[in-house]
Amino acid sequence: MSSVGDATTALTEELAARNDMIVCQGVSKWFGDFQALDSISAVIKEREVVVVLGPSGSGKSTWIRCINRLEVHQEGRIVIDGVELTNDLRNIEKIRSEVGMVFQQFNLFPHLTVLDNVTLAPIWVRKKPKREAEEIARSLLERVGIPEQAEKYPGQLSGGQQQRVAIARALAMEPRIMLFDEPTSALDPEMIKEVLDVMKELARSGMTMMVVTHEMGFAREVADRVIFMEEGQLVETGTPEHFFTNPTEDRTKLFLSQIL
Amino acid sequence: MAEMRPVDIAAASPASQTAEEAVSLPPEQPSTPPREWIRQNLFSTPFNSALTVVFGLLVLLTARGLLNFTFSEEREWDAVRTNLRLLFTHAYPEEQYVRIWVCVGTIAVLAGLSVGLAATTARGVSVKRLSSGLMALGAVVALGVVLREPSALSNADGSVRRNDSGVIRESFAEAMVDRWGWWLAAALLATAGAALWFRFGDERRRSTFVPSVELFMGVTAIVVLSAWVYPWGHYAFTDGEFIAEPGRTVAMSTKLPWTVMWLLLAVALAAGRRLRQAGAGSNFTLALNLCWLACPFVLYWVVLRDPDLDWDRVLSVDIPLGVLFAAGGAAVLWLLTDQRIGELGRIIAALLLGLAAFNWVAAFWGWYPMLQKVRLSFLLVALAALLAHNFAGDRSKRLRLLTVWAVVMAVFHYMATLMNSPSSVETPTEAFVGGFGVTLVVAAFTLLLSFPLGVMLALARTSKLPIFRVMSTSFIEVIRGVPLITVLIFFTIILNLFLPDGMEISVLASAVLGYTLFSAAYLAENVRGGLQSIRRGQFEASDAVGLTALQRTIFIVLPQSLRVSIPPLVGQAIATFKETSLLAVIGLFDVLRMANNVIPAQTEFLGVKREGLLFVCGVYWIFAYSMSKRSQRLEKQLGVGER
Ligand SMILES: Nc1ncnc2c1ncn2[C@@H]1O[C@H](COP(=O)(O)OP(=O)(O)OP(=O)(O)O)[C@@H](O)[C@H]1O
Ligand SMILES: [Mg+2]
Repeated sequence: MSSVGDATTALTEELAARNDMIVCQGVSKWFGDFQALDSISAVIKEREVVVVLGPSGSGKSTWIRCINRLEVHQEGRIVIDGVELTNDLRNIEKIRSEVGMVFQQFNLFPHLTVLDNVTLAPIWVRKKPKREAEEIARSLLERVGIPEQAEKYPGQLSGGQQQRVAIARALAMEPRIMLFDEPTSALDPEMIKEVLDVMKELARSGMTMMVVTHEMGFAREVADRVIFMEEGQLVETGTPEHFFTNPTEDRTKLFLSQIL
Repeated sequence: MAEMRPVDIAAASPASQTAEEAVSLPPEQPSTPPREWIRQNLFSTPFNSALTVVFGLLVLLTARGLLNFTFSEEREWDAVRTNLRLLFTHAYPEEQYVRIWVCVGTIAVLAGLSVGLAATTARGVSVKRLSSGLMALGAVVALGVVLREPSALSNADGSVRRNDSGVIRESFAEAMVDRWGWWLAAALLATAGAALWFRFGDERRRSTFVPSVELFMGVTAIVVLSAWVYPWGHYAFTDGEFIAEPGRTVAMSTKLPWTVMWLLLAVALAAGRRLRQAGAGSNFTLALNLCWLACPFVLYWVVLRDPDLDWDRVLSVDIPLGVLFAAGGAAVLWLLTDQRIGELGRIIAALLLGLAAFNWVAAFWGWYPMLQKVRLSFLLVALAALLAHNFAGDRSKRLRLLTVWAVVMAVFHYMATLMNSPSSVETPTEAFVGGFGVTLVVAAFTLLLSFPLGVMLALARTSKLPIFRVMSTSFIEVIRGVPLITVLIFFTIILNLFLPDGMEISVLASAVLGYTLFSAAYLAENVRGGLQSIRRGQFEASDAVGLTALQRTIFIVLPQSLRVSIPPLVGQAIATFKETSLLAVIGLFDVLRMANNVIPAQTEFLGVKREGLLFVCGVYWIFAYSMSKRSQRLEKQLGVGER
């Protein structure tokens, strides 16, 4: 107990000093015999926007889901804002309330109004008074451009509106990190822009973001760094400029030639 | 009486529709003229026409049979009219009867408030439907007059005149003339309908609505007022004896209380509406729902049973015990919600549970005497201790848990004291009310208790912990494999043999226990179906925003799964309600037993059974049907926001 604890504090203090928001060290994960993540190591700094690219089945979702413990990694360490992800429930709760997540399928709560979707967690997890939570929720809905939909149910909204509610719901917890797992893949083309605009605005406001997406335009315009994954491994990482104009790895070149 | 409320359809443009309106305003359909409808649906092909004729004849024959049975001169409906009080409440003492009315009045007030506070989503009945309904009713009455066989002639002493070939009846023409009263009724209904129909143009007929609540209040007002004008029914028996007292009808002896009930309902309705307009809706609704939950317990144990408290004992034993457990339990919970306690907390909770369980073992072996409620209180302390770590946190959170605990203890000890006190009301059976009253009491308690139990069983069965899963699964499978009547007999007759000395369980309590366990097993399976229908994304989203497992279950999982399982849940509730007729088998005097055994044994109505049974069918049907209607409306309301 004590030796591990000491090591953790050491790592934690060391990392906190360097303003690193997400630190992965040799993270591996297996589904049965199948290795989905193969010793991934990466560091994401405060205010950094990182786009993760890769072919289907390369483990992008698995990785991003490990970061807020929707999946459990089996080897390596993940440290979020100075707190290491272990089986300790209290750490997991702390990390989850600091990390917002937006899903491909929105996953809004269909039995609650938009306003209740956004205020539920602030009221019950952050213990905010109801009135204050509602004020914050309304201003967030304003920020994502749908203040007039507060009393509706998710089923009555378009896909783009639903995804923006999902973003507002995540933001209502005042997270320090936002994770996006293909936020626009389930949307019709004409709705993709409205969601991307919200994400761009968020990036400009200084949020630390990790985004899995196939939107190359977004990656070029907004990303500080692009990470390319294949078969559970981190293949290449670099600025968008470097990545799209002269990638070093052959696998990256192949991927880009197929997609562009 | 029924206030008309024109609804301007044109003003409700789609853009201004709120979520509620979107559901209650279906697109207006062009109505087909009746003749066209009949041709399209009933006589479209020769085969279809033949089917229509054959089944039409069958329906007419059945109706004729039922009419002849119901209105036959041989029917003694007086057996039902005279015994209405017996059928609904059994022999509750006359001088205490006001207690029954207090119960009815309480329910009327609660119902009025609930309806008044509820947002009105339904538009009510359109004038078109109302007027065509009235006309159709008139036509049905007229048809009935023609269908029913001519009445039998009677002798001077009132007995039916017979000859060798059977009953002598008047001629058809005479019968038609004799039934002028019915003709008049049919004509009145049809004219009222027609008058309504023609006063409104086609447009307004469809767009003007009579709110159902006003319609209901209007109709009941007419019924209640009529009792002041006409002494409906037969003379009523008094003093709980089966001897009739001529000259006093049921309507005469109940017109005053029913008027009071109607006024209570109306006042509560108005008050509820006023409160909603004042914006006090949501807070008040919660309080009101708590009142509904408490109402069966309070009405049965406090009002109907009127416990005769022994104040010496209450002051020296009951109150100190309650305070002791409230304070002691609070101290334990305060300790266990301290965040620093960690693993030790769980060990303490487990030890407490062991102690509570040991108390019961000791009771069965008779090792040391202890009040039953002390054992139960120990158990409650242990269960609360097991849950305590969920409430660990800041001071206000811990204090809130302690408050809840204090309230639970106060209610529990209050109820235990009342139940242990003898009753001041003397009734022939230990169940205090009989007839339909006991049916309602058992159904209300069973539904109230079995619902949470069923939900817990369903959650346990889908839990990750194998011990919960195995216990819940085996309980459900055992109960579902045994007939209800066996469960009831086990609990009422056999259970008492197993209980330790000094511990006894009344027939009513054991019946409720049996029904509750049985119904919970079935409810659990229905809820489980709903639980399985929830997609994984919902769990992931609630985890991602940081909800704890308990919060996730309460706010996300249960609301969605219960909504999905409303139809089977209501089906189970109706089944439970109807299955209360088995109370007759285990020795309680429920409404079925009244009709089947008690009334036919009265000297005045010796062997008169069929009338009562038909009446009981009608009463059960009205309740079951309105439950099912209510659930359909609930489904529609909750369908809001579902894709
Ligand atoms: N719960 C699971 N059980 C078994 N295998 C899984 C599970 N989840 C993911 N996998 C496998 O892990 C691999 C990586 O999956 P992942 O969803 O992370 O890919 P991805 O990069 O997000 O792909 P896509 O772009 O299609 O979303 C895939 O081969 C997938 O089949
Ligand atoms: Mg994916």
